[in-house]
Amino acid sequence: MTKKAVKTVTMFLSIIMFISVLAACGSNNNGNSGNTATNAPKETEGTTNEGTEKPGIDTSKKVELQFYMLGDAPKDIASIQEQVNKMALEDLNATVKFNYTSWTDWDQKYKLLLGSGQQVDLIFTAEWTQYQSYAKKGAFQPLDKILPVAAPTLNAYVPADMWEAVKIDGQIFTVPATYKEYVTNGFVWREDLREKYNLPKPVDVATFEQYLDGIKKNEPTMTPLSMNSDVKTNLMDVYKSIAHTPIGALPYGIEVDYKTPSDVTSYWGSDVQKEDLVTMKRWQDNGYMVKNVLAVKDTLQDQVTSGRAAALLGDNPTRFNDMVIKIQATHPDWKLGYHPFPLTNGIATPVHPIHNGFAIPASSKNAERALAFYEKMVTDKRYNLLTQYGVEGKNYEIKDGYYSMLGDSNSNGFSREGMNGWAWRNPEFMLFDKNYDGVKAIFDELDKIQTPDKFTGFAEDYTAYQAERAALEQVEKQYLFPLNAGLVKNVDDGLATFMEKANQAGLEKIQAEYTKQWLAYVEAQGIK
Amino acid sequence: MLKKNGLLKELVTNRILFLMLLPALIFFLINSYVPMVGVYYAFTRFDFNTSLFNSQFVGLDNFKFLWQSGVLARLTLNTIGYNIVFILLGNVLAIALAILLSELRLQWFKKLTQSIMFLPYFVSFVILSVIVYNIFNYESGFLNSTLKSFGMESVDVYNTPWVWIFLIIIFYLWKNIGYSMVIYLASITGISEEYYEAAKIDGANIFQRIWYITVPMLKTTFVMLLLFALGSIMKGQFDLFYQLIGNNGVLYNTTDILDTYVYRSLKVTFDIGMSTAAGLYQSLFGFVLIMTVNYIIKKINDEYALF
Amino acid sequence: MKIKDDSYMKWFRLIAFVVILGATVLCLFPFLLIISASFTQNDAIIKDGYHLIPTVFSFEGYATVFRFPKQVLTAYGVTTMTTIIGTTLGLFFMTMAGYVLQRKDFKYRNFFAFMIYFTTLFGGGLVPWYILITKYLKLTDKLEVLILPGLMTPFLIILMKNFIRSAVPDEVIESAKIDGANDFTIYSRIVLQLSMPGIATVGLFLALHYWNDWFTSSLFINDTTKYQLQYYLYNVINAMSFVAQMGSGTGVSLGDMPTESTKMAMSVIVTGPILFLYPFVQRYFVKGLTIGAVKG
Repeated sequence: MTKKAVKTVTMFLSIIMFISVLAACGSNNNGNSGNTATNAPKETEGTTNEGTEKPGIDTSKKVELQFYMLGDAPKDIASIQEQVNKMALEDLNATVKFNYTSWTDWDQKYKLLLGSGQQVDLIFTAEWTQYQSYAKKGAFQPLDKILPVAAPTLNAYVPADMWEAVKIDGQIFTVPATYKEYVTNGFVWREDLREKYNLPKPVDVATFEQYLDGIKKNEPTMTPLSMNSDVKTNLMDVYKSIAHTPIGALPYGIEVDYKTPSDVTSYWGSDVQKEDLVTMKRWQDNGYMVKNVLAVKDTLQDQVTSGRAAALLGDNPTRFNDMVIKIQATHPDWKLGYHPFPLTNGIATPVHPIHNGFAIPASSKNAERALAFYEKMVTDKRYNLLTQYGVEGKNYEIKDGYYSMLGDSNSNGFSREGMNGWAWRNPEFMLFDKNYDGVKAIFDELDKIQTPDKFTGFAEDYTAYQAERAALEQVEKQYLFPLNAGLVKNVDDGLATFMEKANQAGLEKIQAEYTKQWLAYVEAQGIK
Repeated sequence: MLKKNGLLKELVTNRILFLMLLPALIFFLINSYVPMVGVYYAFTRFDFNTSLFNSQFVGLDNFKFLWQSGVLARLTLNTIGYNIVFILLGNVLAIALAILLSELRLQWFKKLTQSIMFLPYFVSFVILSVIVYNIFNYESGFLNSTLKSFGMESVDVYNTPWVWIFLIIIFYLWKNIGYSMVIYLASITGISEEYYEAAKIDGANIFQRIWYITVPMLKTTFVMLLLFALGSIMKGQFDLFYQLIGNNGVLYNTTDILDTYVYRSLKVTFDIGMSTAAGLYQSLFGFVLIMTVNYIIKKINDEYALF
Repeated sequence: MKIKDDSYMKWFRLIAFVVILGATVLCLFPFLLIISASFTQNDAIIKDGYHLIPTVFSFEGYATVFRFPKQVLTAYGVTTMTTIIGTTLGLFFMTMAGYVLQRKDFKYRNFFAFMIYFTTLFGGGLVPWYILITKYLKLTDKLEVLILPGLMTPFLIILMKNFIRSAVPDEVIESAKIDGANDFTIYSRIVLQLSMPGIATVGLFLALHYWNDWFTSSLFINDTTKYQLQYYLYNVINAMSFVAQMGSGTGVSLGDMPTESTKMAMSVIVTGPILFLYPFVQRYFVKGLTIGAVKG
């Protein structure tokens, strides 16, 4: 009996081995041939086809471009795609397929799209999709050489300093958006309640806390502060950006002050952190946040617009404006107030060019055509208006120079920027809703005190410490999140435990390596 | 030589049986065996510009993150512990309910309740987590509102780790009991009425009939379910744990399992190698366990073994 | 003796009745919450939580789901079609495989059973499988991709094998063989008929699997007209939690995110129809269906 079983298993395993070897050979060959195929045309086309036709690229073979954007496609995407393809076929002998990842699991899908080697010709990039790391690891094709050939107009259209800013290791990997906006934070509060109870206008942490306290005392059924389980990004990063003057939301508890970029310290374990955590505990103890904040999954904005919470620690001007519009419709008697952090701390950084862009993944075999097509999207008014606002007369109309949606979101299949076209916005063609004037006013105010973004251009390479990095992720959630939410009774002990676990996970190694890379970056870029 | 002859001969004599099995074989070959090549990712550093087999070999580097934070033992224990409870309680309850249901005579009641017990299977864990929050949250939860109206102290469930061991088990059972119950119900249906008639004539009462006829007849099904469950004992119910616990680090000591740990650790890191490594660790464990158990079962009774 | 048995029986039935009733109520309760929430105004849910009776009654959840009814209906169509085709095909292949694997005179049954079972233990992980389907089989955006990968599972094949073994005695097959029937005829004429409860169960599970599948859509379908219904639901339920994680620094505007009441309405809509399948399957769970066969 046992003999038979052993025989079965060995026979079985040997068959597996055989299959794997076969498959391995197969994929090996495919991998190699795929590689040469992608590399070869790049070199030949660049040199031999110069001067033929208009964009200087070979468009004799018809191609279909795979275009990938995050989020959900608008309902009318099929007809828009058809109209775009009609033009693209004529101009570039190419058609495009607009693919959307949907927001669900977008990060997972983004990894798969880039890692699987399937055909992707254009993909959205941003600092929050980890453009810098991907570029550094070779996930995108360098564009320096093909830009002047395939997209000369685009090349000239994007200012040189922006091209410079998106460079990773001296090469361009993404086409930045040129529209200038701010996504800096600002306090959001219920102005009507503030007036009613005569509370101070929140301009810094102290006044904000007084406001929260006033709400707690006067509106016992309301939660003063809207918060959810993502206490790292939504609570601590925002809190630090108003309580201190960090250069950016640096990872691994590293602290660099905006004014002194080459001074690197550890925020974690410092007295400053201890003080911040004590504040958080006070907010928790005083009931400014709900006790089970780590289990809350609602968006911060919904909690305010539904009337459950009375303030946001921070949000950007555009989202604030969205909330104002929503409240006007549902509760006209409420009012919202806004105070941008930059007015208090003086750091008014417009978005970095990396913030919105499109890159050509390493797997693309149509790099030139893709770039030429993207040029059309940005610089050709027909393409741009169609893909940003839909069809004039059907989806929108222009009234007094303002964009105006026809019908409402229930009947219209393409809302403003319905394709999430943040990256191919062209300020020359942009249309704004009348409601947006409020945001523009804030932007104008920030323009006056504008300061440069010194952080986003930095590309971290975590290859050397990725095991530690993954381990630290766990430690942070388990030991730091409860501290951030103010749930740990003894802050000193809690912090000590966290530091002990973090060090065990390799915090020192990560910080040392990160600091080294950061200092090299600061040095090389001459950042002061 | 001999073996080959045997195989050939078998192929000819049982050609129809082979043909009937063929679709399944092709399916698993393509869908499951070909991608197995990918386990090699666990030993390489992922590179966007070369193929898998040209990537740099890094040995066990990718496995390092599993023990780096010093929680591997706890995670492994948690994962196995929960699964064992799920398997045992789940099957016992499913068998009990199936037997009770099968003995009921009220047809409409029987059908209706069966359908309703299947309902939780369709409730997404995302929605379940919302409902759970609604019941247990400190300030306005259903539980605390009730306690308060009786003049009792509020309880802070979300900051009490041990409670979640029970909650997780309860919600697992709640969601899956209908599913496994159907399997047993189908098996009970298959038992010949003759056995019961004979037992009745012999004077066995209802309890004896269940104990000496129904339960033993369900053994095959139980062993099969057990073997399948054991094979994936290192693979946790990701959605259940992830949705109910999420970012609440306070509860991790009692509720964190391998799957949630790996997911969290690699969410911000692009690394196929590390995720494959974690999967391999889980697979190997399951493999060794299942081979042992199957061997033991085979020793005791060949009929029940899987292979 | 008889009297004693009857009184036992009475007690037993009473206990059974109470236990089953209790379990049913427990299973029903959260579902009632969901139905109630689907008829509640969204702001009221966020503010006051869930209640068994809507605090502020509203149809807005359903209105939002059906504001573009074509999408939901198409998704219904896709799911129904994949469920029917997939279940039929899968059942056909799996019953055959199950039948072959339980034949004691089939020499390599253990080997093949192990080969199939092995795939539950070991796998290359998500990425190689993804690459296989997108890069080599090129199934992105094809309806086949929604059917093929879910066609068979080791669990259901082995389950089928066990059902057939217990429902079809060896003697039946032996005697059919002596009568000159070939293996396929035995399968189609005898085995299929005798193992109906098993087939119904496996078929139910397979249909559930297709009906509940959102993962394949999520990975391989970009074309919204080919979304499965569950993926539609999954998006509605999850999109918000993903967007909620995006800090203000991402600049992603929250726009038209599905609200609580929409989520609940969507889950009601998705679950409803599959419930009609179950009573259909229940017909086969009647005791005594196989009596005649065993005698034969």
